[in-house]
Amino acid sequence: MPIRILALTAAVLLSQSPGASAQNATPSPDPDPSTLCAACPKRSVGRAIFQTTMVNVFYEMANLVRGQVTARITPKTWWNNMENGWVWDLDDFVVNQVGHPYQGSNYFNSGRANGLSFYESAAVAAFGSSTWEYFGETNKPSLNDFINTTLGGIALGEMFHRAGWLVRNTHATGKGRLWSEIGAMALDPVTGYNRFRTGDASRVTDKPPDLVPASLDSLVSAGVLWRGSQSSAFTAKGQPFLEVDALYGDTNTGRSRTPYDAFSVRLRFGGGSGFSEARVRGRLLGQPFKNGSVHVSVLQSYDFQNNDAYSTGAQSFDAALGGMHTFSSNTSLHVLGWAGLTVLGAVDSLPLGVDERPDEPETPPSGGQGVSEGPRFYDYGPGSDFGGVARLVRKGRTIAGFMYEGRQLYSLDGVRANHLLQRMRVDALVPLRGPLGIGTSAEFFHRRSYYQDEAHTIKTYHYPQLRAYLAWSGK
Amino acid sequence: MERKVRGFVTVAAFLAAVLMPAAGLAQEAPATRDTQPAAPASRLWLVAGGASTTMRGACQTCEEDTPYRHSGSVLGTLGYRVDQRMDVGAEVFWVPAETASGRIRTTHVDAVAQFRPWASQGFFLKGGAGMAFVRNWVDAVGPDALNSKALSVVIGGGWHFRPASRLGLELFASQHAAAIGDIKTADADVPDVMGNFWSIGAAIVIR
Repeated sequence: MPIRILALTAAVLLSQSPGASAQNATPSPDPDPSTLCAACPKRSVGRAIFQTTMVNVFYEMANLVRGQVTARITPKTWWNNMENGWVWDLDDFVVNQVGHPYQGSNYFNSGRANGLSFYESAAVAAFGSSTWEYFGETNKPSLNDFINTTLGGIALGEMFHRAGWLVRNTHATGKGRLWSEIGAMALDPVTGYNRFRTGDASRVTDKPPDLVPASLDSLVSAGVLWRGSQSSAFTAKGQPFLEVDALYGDTNTGRSRTPYDAFSVRLRFGGGSGFSEARVRGRLLGQPFKNGSVHVSVLQSYDFQNNDAYSTGAQSFDAALGGMHTFSSNTSLHVLGWAGLTVLGAVDSLPLGVDERPDEPETPPSGGQGVSEGPRFYDYGPGSDFGGVARLVRKGRTIAGFMYEGRQLYSLDGVRANHLLQRMRVDALVPLRGPLGIGTSAEFFHRRSYYQDEAHTIKTYHYPQLRAYLAWSGK
Repeated sequence: MERKVRGFVTVAAFLAAVLMPAAGLAQEAPATRDTQPAAPASRLWLVAGGASTTMRGACQTCEEDTPYRHSGSVLGTLGYRVDQRMDVGAEVFWVPAETASGRIRTTHVDAVAQFRPWASQGFFLKGGAGMAFVRNWVDAVGPDALNSKALSVVIGGGWHFRPASRLGLELFASQHAAAIGDIKTADADVPDVMGNFWSIGAAIVIR
């Protein structure tokens, strides 16, 4: 293993030497990652593009089998879409903010599964997304889908790709190996399929070195939450939830030029809807300063929240400044602050004069199954975001946490308004025995909408939240 | 015999005359390489060109069918060559259009990434996002233009000739979108306006 790492390091250093730079002026054969690492897939751009197209064919066929009118594509619908250009669509919030990013992760991983780098796979995600919008449906190509599928697909795709390599046990054989490969395939289907197809799924090798995290922390919490609103402090009825937090690598230390060598993930089920929160924040670049006491990074974020009180989602890029203060050998404080641009954000909204969202009509849409005819009760627009987190860590476990995030969205489609969304959360955790602990958290979501009507109406909403949970922390 | 010798000498002299300079150059080449190491390749990525553009501003919720307009456009990109396949940079795309009812000038300023799947081939794909600035004199309330800012997205592709050289030429096709939101006109507010710009063009590339 050390020899392999040395060989890889030497290969990377040689590839960046001045001589190599000079050679860059003339084209050289494409480097094949499989020559650097036994478990790395063979590089093939053509197969990546082919499999991306097959992903589109798969989704198209699935829609056709489901009887969706939008799946009845013909060359005429392709031409109509090309002639029309981009529009905003009227689809359901979860379809647009989770479904499309997930589909994008399949495109992205068609690249990763065929030996392409992160950025090359990002281009494959954009290719898959744009071809789907123009040729995969009869719907007019949707700009919000293109952005969400591409950027969300990159964030979710790399997260799933790396999570798949965590699950995969490449040293095992027999049934244990088979199940680890099946588990990884559930997370990253395209890589899993390719590994079974090529026989890599049964070959005993080391994992690709750049897909092994420097550290791994997780916190699983299950409990009950109570949410209030501006009209009532808290609902009497608690809502059960399960939340998973994972920290892959350390986003706050080290020089990094490998995208997503460190990222954080949060997934929450229950607590207001079946799937109520997803967040992936991956480091694209990282650079320490002042002997590592200060760390500057560039982050990509995917955000989704959907519960019975509010819905938000965003694709954003941020610059972050982080640091750590050590109180004793056991206790330290980790701080991270960020600010950046939201390429496209979504937030639920109601037109002025409407106080409650009307029930969905039970009659099928006149355009046929799968055709979204609106009205759509959320807005789309670009904007900015900012925030910070602080974690107090004792003996390697988080015992207290604070988070604040703000986002400003300028609505381009939907209700004409500027939305300012703010969210604050405080967590306290008491370790019990072993990895178990109990925790409580308080959260406050505040939203102010500045409507662009004649009267410049401003509306404010807030939703406090309390939670009690049992936690399991793993390393 | 003497004639044979003379023929041999003549051929030998001819070969010597032809091959000696080459042999000399072959001997000098390593010396040149030793004393003058090749400079590292530049990281600059510069593109300048023009295109023929068809554009259409449409309102999603309107019944009215808006026309396609045709115009020339100018493209400029300044950026950084990440590696043999990837370039990133800032792009300006300017489309002035004259119509019977007034002028429309749109400037897209985007962060773009360009990817060549095969390093030795010229085929490339491009994508990016940023802002578009629209100056519109069509249906304006007064003599001044109606100025709007918009979310801009660009996708495209093309072929880069001489991809290995510092100076090259590319042919490209691209589509820009400008999501404006609402615009005010002399008649009324028009909601959900989206501009689409389809272009085919050529550009000089310096790497």
